[in-house]
Amino acid sequence: MKPFSARSTSALATCLLLAISLFAPVQAAPSRKFNQLLESVVRIDVREVAFEAGARRYAASIGSGVILSADGVVLTNAHVASPRAVELNITLSSLERVSATLVGWDHWTDLAVLRIDMAEVKRRGLKFAHAEFGESEKLYPGQEVFAVGTPHGLTRTVTRGIISNNNRYFEDTRGVNGYETGAFNTWLQTDAAINPGNSGGPLVTGDGKVVGISSRSYLGANNLGFAIPSATARRVLENLLRDGTIVRSYVGLVPGALQDLENFFSLALNTGVLINSVDPGSPATKAGLRGGDIVLAINGEKVDGRFPEQLPPIQNLIASQPVGATVKVSVKRGAETRDYSVVTEKLESRVGEEWALEKWGLSVRKVSRAYARENQLDDVTGVVVIGVQPGYPADVAGLSRGDIISKINQQPVMSMEVIKVAQAAYEANPAPTLFEAQRNRRVSLYILKP
Amino acid sequence: MRFDSIARPLAGSCLGRRSIGSARGNLLSLLCGSMILLAGALRGAADLPTLWAERLKCVVAVEYVTETEADRRPTVSMGTVIDANGTIILASGAIDPRAATCQLKDFKVYLPGGAVGVDAVYLGQDAYTGWHFVRVNESLRTQLVAVTAFAAKDATAVPALADFVWGIGLRNKDEDFAPYIMQSNLALIQTLPQRTGITQREVAAPGLPVFDREGALVGLAAASFGQSYLQFSPGNRSSPILLINVEESSAFILAQEILPFLNRVPKNISGRPLAWLGAYGLEPMDRDVAKFLNLSAQSGAVVSEVLEESPAERAGLKARDIVLALDGKPLPQLKPDRAVVTYIEREVDRRVPGATLAMTVLRGAERIELKAVLGEEPKLMREAERKYFDRIGLTTREFVYGDAIERRVKATAAPGVIVHFVKPSSPVAVAGIRQEDWIREIDGVEVKTFVAAIAKLAEIERDQARAEFVLLVARGGDTAVLRIKLK
Repeated sequence: MKPFSARSTSALATCLLLAISLFAPVQAAPSRKFNQLLESVVRIDVREVAFEAGARRYAASIGSGVILSADGVVLTNAHVASPRAVELNITLSSLERVSATLVGWDHWTDLAVLRIDMAEVKRRGLKFAHAEFGESEKLYPGQEVFAVGTPHGLTRTVTRGIISNNNRYFEDTRGVNGYETGAFNTWLQTDAAINPGNSGGPLVTGDGKVVGISSRSYLGANNLGFAIPSATARRVLENLLRDGTIVRSYVGLVPGALQDLENFFSLALNTGVLINSVDPGSPATKAGLRGGDIVLAINGEKVDGRFPEQLPPIQNLIASQPVGATVKVSVKRGAETRDYSVVTEKLESRVGEEWALEKWGLSVRKVSRAYARENQLDDVTGVVVIGVQPGYPADVAGLSRGDIISKINQQPVMSMEVIKVAQAAYEANPAPTLFEAQRNRRVSLYILKP
Repeated sequence: MRFDSIARPLAGSCLGRRSIGSARGNLLSLLCGSMILLAGALRGAADLPTLWAERLKCVVAVEYVTETEADRRPTVSMGTVIDANGTIILASGAIDPRAATCQLKDFKVYLPGGAVGVDAVYLGQDAYTGWHFVRVNESLRTQLVAVTAFAAKDATAVPALADFVWGIGLRNKDEDFAPYIMQSNLALIQTLPQRTGITQREVAAPGLPVFDREGALVGLAAASFGQSYLQFSPGNRSSPILLINVEESSAFILAQEILPFLNRVPKNISGRPLAWLGAYGLEPMDRDVAKFLNLSAQSGAVVSEVLEESPAERAGLKARDIVLALDGKPLPQLKPDRAVVTYIEREVDRRVPGATLAMTVLRGAERIELKAVLGEEPKLMREAERKYFDRIGLTTREFVYGDAIERRVKATAAPGVIVHFVKPSSPVAVAGIRQEDWIREIDGVEVKTFVAAIAKLAEIERDQARAEFVLLVARGGDTAVLRIKLK
């Protein structure tokens, strides 16, 4: 497809507006509020850094967002704008472009908050509208909704559909650019066309209220799109604006749906959550919980995890406890029921801090607690090799993707700082450097030569 | 030729074995075979056919069946006769190390060109040489000659570079294992760590002897090594591939590394006693690392882990120690680097439990002397008890020490059984059970022993009224509760 000229784009936009007024006969007026919503939807151009293949690389991408306040707060997806972003530009509905900064992100709910550079807005006398949240809890399957965004860079595209399901569950351990997502919320499913670039744009009702943030769709399927419900988005937005981050608690329980296993566990219908697995070394393991246990109540609150879509609120119940709090978990094991006290710790992503050691042609990621547990490592010492540049010292020495570097010149890699110091020393005075790395539990030594 | 990819016994999972299913008795290969014969007659010494006919008596084809729950897989391998009792050795790769000893059935020995197999018994594998030993019934013994009859007068003699060498190959079963001659010249001798001759072309079938012009034994063909080729295909211009000839080898272990060890016939089928150190994941170092650690003319090997309650642990060996010397002898600098690991393993394997192994290790900047008293190798997976349940659709295997290592748990505190086999489309397969899953609970009851587990499963299997049962299985670091529907 050829790029549109400016003129044809605006002509297209006019057609779109016309079309909306045609296909929304149920609303009394072609909704002043819907027009206002359209003026609050923005295109987001992101330039972000990636530490791939032993080098710092920059890539550009496009997403959508919606302005939610007069002071320029923009809500979008975490997979559009993340801390990896080095440059964020927002195109207002007036087609004017302003810069923005990241306020905070939350990959678990795939949401990020940006703030438009208001000084620039004032200086240039720019204007924009802002949208309002609707109530996602009140949506019903079959209800008409619209997705607005920038699919494939086509600014201000409106697509129409219905709510296909208002309580969809899916968890994805690598869903947001390799980060975990979906454990703490359910999703709205819609058949309004959602394509790459729609991400971060609003899903709205006919009256222009934002009921969801379009986030993902099944590629290759017909109109199976998903959005984060506004009930979740509203809460996350508040928290990110207040703290810049969202802190959750972790205990290490991996729930499974009970679905038909009630009889086996001699449970009354709609009671309890099955614990499929307990992360090794986690607070739950330390407290004595194990796979096959049934959680009946958390802090006295009865839980019911019969179906998968009932699990996120239960996960959220644990996650919303303060870090370090003692949670009372009532557990049924066999015929016996007893309470366990589990002390929560801070929830961490498997994906740790990343860095590129360009002289060595090596990109690395810190071993996080979650990564160490997942890979049965003794502790969080070390960095994982996420890329090597062919022909550079790391590659020549034999290091490869997935290796865990545990020592540099006999110094344990307790933090990314250790790596950075070693890199600085090498850059000041290039000398053979001894690396100790582990591959599938096998420890080898490597010399990286200048 | 690529010497760095020599398929030593370490990698010999499928080398040196032929599957009967892939027998390729086409006209072309027959033609090739006869051409080689013709060329041999022209180029070899005048008396080569005579030498060849005599030496044919020390080679045989050995066929056996691996019997699993689902099928019976025949395998053919080449063997060399080593004594007058009908004892035959097979290369280490001749038998899949994952197969349980009890699954190996129906050993039969065929003479070159012979159509009738004679029954034989499997005697077990020797850990040091890696050889599998088989003994054939008396009826065939008179027709066999031990390879030792052809040993050179000087057992330590080493063939010289470019020396003419020859050996025997055997065709497939559908061609009655017809023997043919292979000839080559010695190109190189490597220490891997066994002294290994590399020839210009294939010289013998893996497991069969190699001779010099006078007919004296110079070695035993090992698994061959990979050779790099470029593969061209339409749409894909070229891609590098590594080809390994599993039927003919151009590498042989020198006679001096063979003859002294022919008496290592296992005392029992398990090959025990087996010496055990318990240093897991020995990793070689390259010359740059050795130089950095001020190890001038020698090598070292990093110990990745020290196994729980092993002789190494009792001796005070620690993870990440670097082994520098055994019994005061510095580790040699061998190429490829990996050969040093085989060197250490062989030093352990040639000893018996109770023997002492003195080690010099580097820990940080400190050199430490340790003395390990080798123990008896814990029960191996191939020795583990198994039980098949047809209706449920799985074979359970006893949890052994190796399973604990693989799963990073304490062997002493790890009850449960391992899923060894899953029958396709069976109830457990439908429920999502996979091979190597670790069953922790059956119907909510913790599995304490193998006996308890099979009793419980047998009870479920017998109970025709049973509609379902529940397993708690571990896979990786996770567990899952799985419901198995029997109806």
